[in-house]
Amino acid sequence: MSTIYPRRKATNGIMMALCVVAAVIGLAWLALILGALLYNGLAGVNIAVFTQMTPPPGEAGGLLNAIAGSLVITVIAVVIGTPIGIMAGTYMAEYGRFSKLTTVVRFINDILLSAPSIVVGLFVYELVVRPMGHFSAFAGAFALAVLVIPVVVRTTEDMLNLVPNALREAGTAIGAPRWIVIRSVAYRAALSGIVTGILLAIARISGETAPLLFTALNNQFWSSNLNAPMASLPVTIFQFALSPYEEWQQLAWTGALLITLTVLALSIIARSLTGRREDR
Amino acid sequence: MASTHMLTAFDEELQYLTRRISEMGGLAEQMCSDAVRALVNSDSALAQKVISDDVILDGAEREIQEKAIITIARRQPVAADLREVVGSLRIAADLERVGDLGKNTAKRVIAVQGTGVPRKLARGLEHLSDLALVQLKDVLDVYVSRSAEKAEVIRLRDEEIDAMYTSLFRELLTYMMEDPRNITTCTHLLFCAKNIERIGDHATNIAETIYYMTTGAQLEGERPKDDSSNTVGAAGR
Amino acid sequence: MNNMVSLDKVAPQQTSEKAKIEIKNLNFYYGESKALKNITLSLPERSVTAFIGPSGCGKSTLLRVLNRIYELYPKQRAEGEVLVDGQNILDRNQDLNLLRTKVGMVFQKPTPFPMSIYENISFGIKLYETLSKSEMDERVEAALRRAALWNEVKDKLNASGLSLSGGQQQRLCIARTVAVKPEIILLDEPASALDPLSTAKIEELIDELRADYTIVIVTHNMQQAARVSRQTAFMYLGELVEFDETAKIFTSPREKRTQDYVTGRFG
Repeated sequence: MSTIYPRRKATNGIMMALCVVAAVIGLAWLALILGALLYNGLAGVNIAVFTQMTPPPGEAGGLLNAIAGSLVITVIAVVIGTPIGIMAGTYMAEYGRFSKLTTVVRFINDILLSAPSIVVGLFVYELVVRPMGHFSAFAGAFALAVLVIPVVVRTTEDMLNLVPNALREAGTAIGAPRWIVIRSVAYRAALSGIVTGILLAIARISGETAPLLFTALNNQFWSSNLNAPMASLPVTIFQFALSPYEEWQQLAWTGALLITLTVLALSIIARSLTGRREDR
Repeated sequence: MASTHMLTAFDEELQYLTRRISEMGGLAEQMCSDAVRALVNSDSALAQKVISDDVILDGAEREIQEKAIITIARRQPVAADLREVVGSLRIAADLERVGDLGKNTAKRVIAVQGTGVPRKLARGLEHLSDLALVQLKDVLDVYVSRSAEKAEVIRLRDEEIDAMYTSLFRELLTYMMEDPRNITTCTHLLFCAKNIERIGDHATNIAETIYYMTTGAQLEGERPKDDSSNTVGAAGR
Repeated sequence: MNNMVSLDKVAPQQTSEKAKIEIKNLNFYYGESKALKNITLSLPERSVTAFIGPSGCGKSTLLRVLNRIYELYPKQRAEGEVLVDGQNILDRNQDLNLLRTKVGMVFQKPTPFPMSIYENISFGIKLYETLSKSEMDERVEAALRRAALWNEVKDKLNASGLSLSGGQQQRLCIARTVAVKPEIILLDEPASALDPLSTAKIEELIDELRADYTIVIVTHNMQQAARVSRQTAFMYLGELVEFDETAKIFTSPREKRTQDYVTGRFG
C-alpha cells in the first residue's frame, strides 16, 4: 500500500496534466482561428460591404450580391429540405418505429449525414446542371437541400424518440387518432429540439462551398434569377482569397468573419433552445 | 406460520406476542389453581401470593397491548397477520380477566377462613375447578398448535362445566336453607363457583378467537349451554 | 356518511349487480411469450376493482387490454373475449378511438400534454364534439371541478400543464379523462409517483368518482388497494389467483398465494 499509493497518485497527476494539455491545444487552435478572423476581418468591415456589389479586381466594393445570394439559396434549401426531413423523421419515429424500412433509412441517412459535400455537389451537377446546360441558383439550393435533409431527419427522429411513450399513450388513451397525437402532442413536446435541428442544418450549409462550386457557381453582379448563376459568400470567399488582389483578399476575410459569426450565433441559439428544454 | 416474512423484524414481533401470551396463560392457570387450593385448604399465604401475582398479569396484558398496537401502526398487518395481532389482543384481555377471577377467589379465602369450607362442597369446587383448568390448559395448548378442530372441541366442552356449576349452585342453596349460619360462607363460595365457571367461559372465548385466527371465519351459532342456575329457584327441589 | 361507505364496502350486494366488463378466457402474448393465461373475470358496474400482484404478474397488461392501448405496439396480441356492456371489444371491427373515449386511462407518471391547462382538458373534448366557446368553458370547468382541481387552477388556466405540481398534474390527467365522459376509467398505478398527501387526494377522488364510473386500478401499494377498492383481483405469473371482495382478500383470503403476498411473505 505504502509503495503503490504514491505511484498511483503520480500516474494520476501525469495523466491529468496530459489531458489538460490536449484540451488546451484544441482550444488554442480555435482561439487562433477566431483571433486571425477577427484581426483580419474586422479591418474590412464597413457600410460598403453591405451596400455594394463585389468589385472588379483593383477596385473598392462590397459583398452585397454574395450575402443576398447566400440568403436566397439557403432559404430555398431550407424550405425544400425541412418538410421532407421532418416528415421522414416523423415516419421513422412514429409510424414506422418498428419497421425494417426505418432501420434501412436510418442507416442510409447516417451515411448521407457524413458524406463529403463535394460528392453531393457532383451528384447535383450530374442530375441538374448537366441536363439544364448551365449553372443556376436553383441547382445550388437543391444541392444544399440534400445536405439539410439528413440533419433534419436525424434530429427530428431523435427528438421524437425522446418524447416519452407515456405521452403518446395518454393522447391515444383519450381517443385521439394517431396523426392528432403526433401533431398536437409529440410535435409540441419535441418542438424546440426540431427547431434546433433546423438551425444546425442552416449552420452547416451556410459555410458549404464545394457543392455550390458545381451548381450555383458565382456571379460578379446582382442577380435575382434563380435559373442563372448566383453569387454566394463561401464561393466568393474561395475565389477572392485565392486571388492576388489585396482588395479581394480583404473582402474574403470579412466574408469569412460574417459566416463564422452567423454560424456561431445559430449555434448559440440552438444551444439555448435545447438548454431550456432540459431545464424543465 | 410456516413461511416467514421478508421482514424478519415483523416475524420477531409476532413471535414476541405469541410467547408473551403463552407466558400469561401459564401464570393465569397457576393463579387459578392456587386460588382454589388456598380456598380449600384455607391457606391465606397462598391466597396472598395469588393476589400479588395479578399485578404481574395485568402488567403483561398492558405490554402485549402496547406491542400489538405498535405492530399494527408500523407493519399494517393484513389477513393472517392482522388476525394474529387482533387475536393476541383479545386473548390477552381474556387471560387478564381469568387472572382477576383467580384474584377475586383468593380474596374470599380470608372471608371464609373463620368457618372453613365443608368437605363436600370443597370436593365439588375442586371438581369444578379441575374441569375449568383443564379447559384453560387445553386451550393454551391449542394456542400453540393452532388447531381449529381442537379449538372447536374445547368450545363444545364448556357444557360440562356449566352443568357442574348448576349442580353446585343447587347444593349451596341447600346448605343455606339447612342452616342460615352457613349463608355468609356459602355466598362467598357461590361467588367462587361463579368465578370458576367464568374461567371456563373465557377459555371458550379464547378457543373461538383461536378458531378465527387460524381460519378467518367466526364460529357461528349459540354454543350449547347447560348453565341453568338462572332458572333455579330457592323453592325448587 | 363515512360509516355508510365502509359498511357498503364490507357487505356489498353481489347478487343484483350488473357486470360492466366481462373477461372470458383471455390470453395475451408479447411476441412468443404468454403474459396472461386464461383470465376469466367479471367486473361490476360503478365500483372500484383493484388488480394487485408482484411486478410482471400481468396486472398492467390486463388493464391495457381493456382499452386496447397495447395496439400501439407490434407483436402484442390478445385472444379471448372482453365484453364491455356485452360487446366484445377485441372484435376486429371495434373502432379503437371510440372505444378509448368510452374507456379512459390515467397513467403511472402524470402525463399532461405540452399545452395549457385549459387546452389539456379541451383537447379530448374537441376530438368528438363541436362546442361553442362558452359551452367549452363550462365543460372544462366541470371536468376540473370533478377532479377537485378547479380552485387551484381557475386563475391560471392558460399556464402550461407542466407548471403544476406532480399531484396536480395527475388530477389534471384525471380531469382530462373525465372530460370526454367515459364510462370506465382505468388507473395504472396513478399515485405511485406522488407523495402521501397527493396520494390521499387522488384516493379521495377515486372514492368520489366510483358513484358514476366503473373504475379499475392497478396498484403496487396493497394498502391503497385495501383503501380504495371494493373488489380485488390478485394476479401472479400471468394467472388470476383470486378474485373476491377486498375486505375478504385482506382479512381471510382463500388462496395461500394471496395470503403470502398480502402479508409480505413472498420471497
